[in-house]
Amino acid sequence: MRRAGSRSTRPALIGAGLVIALLGSIAVAVTIGAADLAVGDVIGSVLSHLGIGTSPLDTLRDGIVWELRLPRILTAAAVGAGLALAGAVMQAITRNQLADPYLLGLSSGASLGAVSVLLLGVALLLPVAAFAGALAALVLTLGLASALGRITPTRTVLAGVAVSSLAGAITSFVIFWTVTGDSYRQILGWLLGSLSGARWEAVAIAGGALLVVGVPLALSGRILDAFAFGDTTAASLGVPVQGARWALLAATALLTGAMVSVSGAIGFVGLVLPHAVRLLVGPGHRALLPLSALVGAVFLVWADTLARTLFDPRELPVGIVTALIGAPVFALLLARRRSEA
Amino acid sequence: MKIRAIGLVAAPLVLLAGCSAPAPVATDSPVSVVRFENCGIPVTFTTPPERVVTIKSTSTEMMLALGLGDRIVGTAFQDGPVPDEWAAEAEGLPEISDFMPSEEAVLDLEPDLVYAGWESAFAADAAGERDELAGFGVATYVQPAACRSAQVPGKLDFAEIFREIGEAASIFRVDAAPLIADQQAALDAIVPDDRGLTALWYSSGTDTPYVGAGIGAPELVLETVGLTNIAGDIDQTWSSLGWESIVDADPDVIVLIDADWNTAQSKIDLLESNPATARLSAVQHDAYLILPFAAGEAGVRTVSAAASLADQLKELDLG
Amino acid sequence: MTRPGLAVAGVTVRAGSVTLVDDAGFTAPAGALTALLGPNGAGKSTLLRAVAGVERPAAGTVEFEGEDLLALPRRERARRLALVEQEAGTELPLTVRSVVGLGRTPHESVLGGRDPDAVAAIEDAMQTAGVAGFAAREFTTLSGGERQRVMLARVLAQQPRILLLDEPTNHLDVAAQLEVLGLLGSLSAAGTTVVAALHDLTLAAAHADTVVVMAHGRVVANGPTAKTLTPKLVREVYGVDARWIDNPLTGKPMLAVARAVIE
Repeated sequence: MRRAGSRSTRPALIGAGLVIALLGSIAVAVTIGAADLAVGDVIGSVLSHLGIGTSPLDTLRDGIVWELRLPRILTAAAVGAGLALAGAVMQAITRNQLADPYLLGLSSGASLGAVSVLLLGVALLLPVAAFAGALAALVLTLGLASALGRITPTRTVLAGVAVSSLAGAITSFVIFWTVTGDSYRQILGWLLGSLSGARWEAVAIAGGALLVVGVPLALSGRILDAFAFGDTTAASLGVPVQGARWALLAATALLTGAMVSVSGAIGFVGLVLPHAVRLLVGPGHRALLPLSALVGAVFLVWADTLARTLFDPRELPVGIVTALIGAPVFALLLARRRSEA
Repeated sequence: MKIRAIGLVAAPLVLLAGCSAPAPVATDSPVSVVRFENCGIPVTFTTPPERVVTIKSTSTEMMLALGLGDRIVGTAFQDGPVPDEWAAEAEGLPEISDFMPSEEAVLDLEPDLVYAGWESAFAADAAGERDELAGFGVATYVQPAACRSAQVPGKLDFAEIFREIGEAASIFRVDAAPLIADQQAALDAIVPDDRGLTALWYSSGTDTPYVGAGIGAPELVLETVGLTNIAGDIDQTWSSLGWESIVDADPDVIVLIDADWNTAQSKIDLLESNPATARLSAVQHDAYLILPFAAGEAGVRTVSAAASLADQLKELDLG
Repeated sequence: MTRPGLAVAGVTVRAGSVTLVDDAGFTAPAGALTALLGPNGAGKSTLLRAVAGVERPAAGTVEFEGEDLLALPRRERARRLALVEQEAGTELPLTVRSVVGLGRTPHESVLGGRDPDAVAAIEDAMQTAGVAGFAAREFTTLSGGERQRVMLARVLAQQPRILLLDEPTNHLDVAAQLEVLGLLGSLSAAGTTVVAALHDLTLAAAHADTVVVMAHGRVVANGPTAKTLTPKLVREVYGVDARWIDNPLTGKPMLAVARAVIE
């Protein structure tokens, strides 16, 4: 069991360790890839773009490092952080440990938006359409939940399931109706979640969302903790229950929508990683939220590195890697909980 | 290039590449039961089929090339317009569906043969399973180059393509020799490029390109015109390939597949707009070769595809 | 002259077209234990929640030391008033110390960590409530009585001037009930204004200084216990017979109850 004195310092130490691990992971991952580039050359290339010296690589290979690898890795870090954070918050808001960021129809709505662009030729940028789809699904979910009466976590989850099913059905229909052998591959990559299209625009979107929405969300642990015993207790502790819940939900939806719009619906990050972090530092959200984000970032950087190098020169959608790793880990976590109970 | 002596090469006319096929010559013989295995399934034709449904362009064009267009009662899931010389004939062909047809729609035409360019056409939710169709008295035939469940072909060569033409012709009891001779002549006329250039066969895909790989029609065509496929060591017909590998290989030339659902122009736009690929030498020099989708699959257009690429290559000045 | 305390006036709570609490008012003196009594469905929980500001009443004021508590910002109110609701539970594997620590929420800023004052408040609260011995155990593994004491420790850590409790003795065995009420008594003696909704008439009568009696959403009586809880009132509100006697064990007044004799 945890000792009293070490409680507040332990998360801080873990957090510092994770930050170092994240920076290290980014630095190592940028030297790994299908093209055989020397580590020193890669470092030199990155430094040259930061203003230090000139690049030892020719323009093409320099482009591999700076236009392909680095933005992709940075996007992976931002998306991993965002999804893990959103998952932890969603599990708290819905008081459901099996919640993930996509619960409120967000990923199904985004998929529908993506499919509209990829298969129906709707003239929108893919991230814009995906984001719009996610928000539309969220509005539908909340509308449905409130139409049934007072909005409760259970009602919201159920409404989310209904909207997800609907959006999923329409998406499947569009795919079935329009797809040829080739285009199926493209939409499949998006549905499984993939970072292979992440360029600097994606870094801007994901990183921006993380900064503007994710950071405040990560600091809301105190409020989430107050919800541990339900709405009345939270209210008696001075928390504006309805307002806080709406704000948290909106922030989570925005964050998730932004992430999904650049990478598709990468699974298991938002579901499993918060559980793993809970095992380390307990259920208190003050530590759980920021640490989940850090763990998510490191995890997805490595998952994506695996995805793009495991079957070099072919690439896997990263969603497959996260599922392959995430599913057994989740089973392990469940088994541990059962044996503890 | 090999010079093959295929039996009676009886064509007296000098035929240029891609000219119209000769009239069918029936080769009746007392024992005219045709039997062989097709994707692992034994097929038997006691009489030549008269009512044929074709699925995908390769089968339609095979029949048009053999002068059998009048036996087609319906087409489905075509990949694009047929070459000019058959355009008039193809115009009258009834189209069942833009995509895989349903079994009912197929049976409604009372065919005696369903001839498919992709094996996946014979699924329960498409044209129907092969044994089920056989139960209805409908024969089924898959273009052998497309077999996936059994008798999967090895590395494709023109010997196999010509063999398949011959096999298709034998089903209908027509003489394939003139067509094969034409194709061979056209093939012989191709002068491969000698500049030792590398190429990417870019079929589709934005985040992760789908490209021609090492053992299918793309590889055969590229080799024939003297290009080295940067994905040539991948043991597949087509494969996905990461951008990093493509940029690292920096192909001299990019073959762009042009389809309605994924045009060559859209691929050019993508290549040019992406800062990583904009620096590819092929993009900088506009070194693009264009090929329609249907010409990219193994069939009667493979030779003309190679010829077209060879001509386009000649025009390419890479400085 | 009444001692300063909690002055509730004109509180009305509606749910749709149903009025749950109708123009309710009472005074709960500071430094005293006030029992909120009434049969099931009388509106005790609703009134408590309205006074706590957890639910917005349609009308009414709650005054304490010259301030209208309902008009205060939530956090301010939470620093003066704490509520222990019925049946509050959690499935999360929180330790006792974390649960007690929740009581500090209204005193904390968003970014701040735990200051030394907070740590002291938490430790004190756990000592007072008698839960310091199992501070590191998980809340979900505790017995009913232990949990109730932890919830008390939580509100103590909140350091409120007013303490509202909704049926704090539910599901507790008799020893635990007496313990909790004894604790509430000493808290009120130390200056906190304590209002507890209780369903056990005898228990309430033995421990409370003041009572507020409700029936059908209205307050029907409010005042010192012995004077207010007359047998006639008890018969009217609860439908049982009652008489004040002396508890042979403690010598203090005690309300004996029995089934009503049907006339």
